[in-house]
This record gives sequence, C-alpha cells and structure tokens, in this order.
Amino acid sequence: MILELRNSAVKQFRNPSFTIGLIILAILLFVAIFAPIVAPFDPLQMNVGEPLQPPNARFWFGTDDFGRDLFSRIVHGSRLTLMIGLVAVGISMVSGVLIGLTAGYVGGWIETILMRSMDVLFSFTETLIALAAVAVLGASLTNAIIAVGLSSIPFYARITYGAVLVEKNKEYFKAAQALGARSPRLVFRHLLPNILSPIIVVATVGVSIAILSASALSFLGLGAQPPSPEWGAILSAGRDYFKRAPWVTTFPGIAIALTVLGFNLLGDGLREILDPKQRS
Amino acid sequence: MTSYLIKRVLSGLFTIWLTTIAVTLLIHLVPGDPVQIMYAQSQSTTPEQLEQVRHNLGLDRPIYEQYFIYMSRVLRGDFGTTIRGNQPILSLLLVRLPNTLLLAISSLFITMLVGVTAGFIAAYKRGTWLDAGLMTGAIVGISIPSFWLGLVLIYVFSVQLGWFPVSGTNLRNLFLPALTLGLANAASVSRLTRSSMIEVLSQDYIRTARAKGLAEKFVLMRHALRNSLINVVNMLGLQFTYMMGGAIVVENVFAWNGVGRFAIQSILQRDYPTIQGFILIFAIVVVGVSIVLDVLYAWIDPRINYDS
Repeated sequence: MILELRNSAVKQFRNPSFTIGLIILAILLFVAIFAPIVAPFDPLQMNVGEPLQPPNARFWFGTDDFGRDLFSRIVHGSRLTLMIGLVAVGISMVSGVLIGLTAGYVGGWIETILMRSMDVLFSFTETLIALAAVAVLGASLTNAIIAVGLSSIPFYARITYGAVLVEKNKEYFKAAQALGARSPRLVFRHLLPNILSPIIVVATVGVSIAILSASALSFLGLGAQPPSPEWGAILSAGRDYFKRAPWVTTFPGIAIALTVLGFNLLGDGLREILDPKQRS
Repeated sequence: MTSYLIKRVLSGLFTIWLTTIAVTLLIHLVPGDPVQIMYAQSQSTTPEQLEQVRHNLGLDRPIYEQYFIYMSRVLRGDFGTTIRGNQPILSLLLVRLPNTLLLAISSLFITMLVGVTAGFIAAYKRGTWLDAGLMTGAIVGISIPSFWLGLVLIYVFSVQLGWFPVSGTNLRNLFLPALTLGLANAASVSRLTRSSMIEVLSQDYIRTARAKGLAEKFVLMRHALRNSLINVVNMLGLQFTYMMGGAIVVENVFAWNGVGRFAIQSILQRDYPTIQGFILIFAIVVVGVSIVLDVLYAWIDPRINYDS
C-alpha cells in the first residue's frame, strides 16, 4: 500500500479531493498543535470581554454567555476533535479488524457467531449502540469516545471479513499455506497487508463519522461537559440563546463541518488513488 | 416467496431475541450500583427504599431469573414503570412512537426525492459543471452535522422569516425537522444513485435502446432510471434505520415529542427501565420495517429468486 501511494505521488496532488482535504487537515493540525499560540485568550477564562459580544476586531468569533473568547475556545476545541476522531476510529478499527480477520481466517462456528453478532449490531445503527453505551457508562467525553468507537466495530469487522474471504482464495495465499506458513505469519504477513488499503480508506472517512457522532453526543449533553471547549458542547450551550447570539452556534458548526469535510475529501481522494477501478 | 418470508421473519425474531438478552444485561454492565446511580439525583431516598427498588426491579435475583421475569412481563406488554413518576413505560413510548415514525417516513421521502433526483441529473450530465456542482454539494452535505443544520434552518425559517413555529409536535411543525433529517441523508443517496445510474447507462441494453432510435426520454425513464432504482429501493431498509437513528438527534433540536427525545431524557436521568424499553421498541420497529421493505424489494425485483 505504501508503495502504491509512493508510486502515485504525483497523481495524488492532481486529485482535487485529496489535495483540498489534505490542506484543510493540515491547517487543522497546525491549529491544534499550536493552539496556545494561535488562541489569543485562555479558552476557559471567563469575562475576558462582555458576555455575548458579536464578532469584532478583538474577539473574532465573538464571546459566549460567560464572556469567554469563542475563537480561543474553538481553536482549543480542535485538539479535542482530532483526538476524539482518531481514538474512536482506533478503537473500532483495531477491534473490527481483529474480529473480521478471526472470523474470515478461522471459519467454522467462530465465524458464524462473530459475524452473526456483527450483523445484529449492524442492524441497530451506530447511533443506538453509542446511546446504549453512554447510557451504561455515563455521560462524559471519554465515555462518548468509547461509545462511538464501539458503535462502529461491526462496520470494520464486515469490511475486513469480506476482504479476507476474497484474499483467502488467491494464489499467493494458497501458496503460502502450501509452503507451511503458520497462522500468525499467514495472517499478519500475508492477509493483513493485502486488505489494508480498503480499510485505510474506510477509516479515513470513519474519522469524519466518529467526529460527527461524538459531537452529536456532546450536543445532546451525553458527551463532553461544560466548560469543555469541545465543539458539540459549545453548540449545545449556545442553543439556549442562539436567537440572540447566533454566532455562538454558527462557528463551532462550521468548524465541525469543515473538519468532517476534510476527512471525507481525503478519504474520497484516497479511494480514487488506491482503487482506480472504482473511479467514475 | 413463502419460504423466503419465513426465513426473513425468523432471522428478525432472532435479532429481537438477542436484543432482549442485551437489554437485560445492560443494567448489569453499569459500573457501580445502578440503583444508587438512578436515584443519585433525588436525595430523599433511604437505603431501605433503594433495597425495595432493587427488589422490585428483580435485581436481587440471579441473572437468568431476571431475564425470564423481564421477558414474561414484556410479552404481556408490561415494560415496567419510570423511575421518576412511576408511569407505565410502554404507553409513554407508544404515545410518542407515531411522532417518530411520522418524522422518519417524511424524512425518508425527502431523502429519496432530493437524493435520487440529484444523483440522476449528475449521472446524466456526467463530467459537466452540473455534475461537479451536485457532487460537491453532496460531499459538503454529508459533512454538515444534522443538529447544526437544524439550528440554522430554525434560525432562517422560524426566527428570521417567521414561516414556521420554532418547535412543537404537529403537522405544521413537521417540515423543518423532516427537511433537516432528509437533507442530511439525501447527500449519500445522491452519490449512490449517481454511481448506480452511471453503471446502468453503460449497459448494452441502453445502447440497444438508443440504437433502435428510442426517444432519450424513454431510454432514461423507462430503461435507465427503473433499473438503477432497484439499487436504491434495496437501500430503503437501511435508510429507514438511519432515519430512526438520526431522528433521535433531530427530535432533540426541534423539541419534537418522539421516542428519541424521550430516550435522551431517560439517559440523562439514568432511568434504566425506560432505556431498556426504548431499545427494545426501537429494535422491534427497525427489524419489522426492514423485513417489510426486504420482502417488498424481493417482490418488485424479478431477478431475485427468493426460494433459493
């Protein structure tokens, strides 16, 4: 996969989705890393200005009801958003891939049990699984990340499983088997590298889905709690006075949409680069 | 057809059965003492009262016994009562369920109307600025959080233009939440319709239809659209499930009195019996509707051999 990427290095940048996605995410990453420098104020410091000021020269995005600088809060929130997306996808991808690999490689009753339970979970939508998980664990940012991570496991398991079934019947795999390669080697040296590219594409888009789900949980009061500068939580608090001060809900909304768009574009671009057959 | 139907219904029942087990276990997965957590918000409960609640909920019995007690109650239509107010959970859910279904079905209609039209046009005008514009719109649309879109629509149409009331649960108020939920999903349907339409348009029978001089209108509507719609109809069940999931969030934005909004309140209050009831009802609806749509699909699409 790395090789495919390297070989198509030039092609990548001719792909507008990939390039625009990459630019958006590069800016986001920069803002997240240098948040304390980029943000003019402390994101939690109250009364740095009058409450609910509209955007102006001093407070670019205005202030919230506690007189906190909204721009600084959103800048610091970018760290949370990236962390949420990556950790949640990490949870679902690692567990999903392990389940899919096991089911596809081992087969038999283990396969039936694993994939049937994934089917059942899949039919409940990610929202319901995430809600059930938060209901059990309690409302907090950490629990929301775990919940979102858990909710997408069936998705990754299915994709991995499908890919394993295809690879298992290919010549190279049968040859490796015939040569007496042992299970760990077969799975990690032969299967995994060959099924990795569709999984990476899906995981890139998956980050955007995870960010949307987690911010929705925070919006509902089930994720990050005030005074956290998590974007969904800012939006949720801003709801109470959004008729008077629409900027408090507007800017975090745009921030979420842009970040999600960045991952979606990057994922779409990667798909086209890695799988030219699917290009339309 | 009959055997397909039976198979489909059996697998649906299996899913619901697994849900009942999961729902019973749910309360035991709670870190700490669920009864104490449930009553954490009300100070006036004594240890004796907590013990009484534990007993009433059957939590002092072995798990398998709890499961049988819960199931026998559920099968008799008794989902228990809410922690606060002691109201029957099933009737609270059933009063709100039609509102959620109304929202989900209206949204599904908007999703299909907007998504299929946009995807169809994009595929037909493939490679033009219109195609590029529509597909850019679709990827931006996928990226917008539904709760934020809802707030924007409220701000524009209710606050600024005054066309709709800000919130409430009646037909007049249905439009904005349905539009929010519908648009949020239309983006992905339009992408699917586009790719399926492009595939159909490259088929031999389309070339034949054109070659024999059939008017383009007929080629598109009768041959291409119909065949690409099969893929879209196949997605209806999944889309409906998404709508039900999305409704949970959107209901909260618009204060729409559905089961989703009720569920969030229950989760915030940690009212576990109600949460259990909600998950069970949600599963039954989603599984039931999927079966109906799958059977409908098998019935519509002559290529599917349901007895194999």
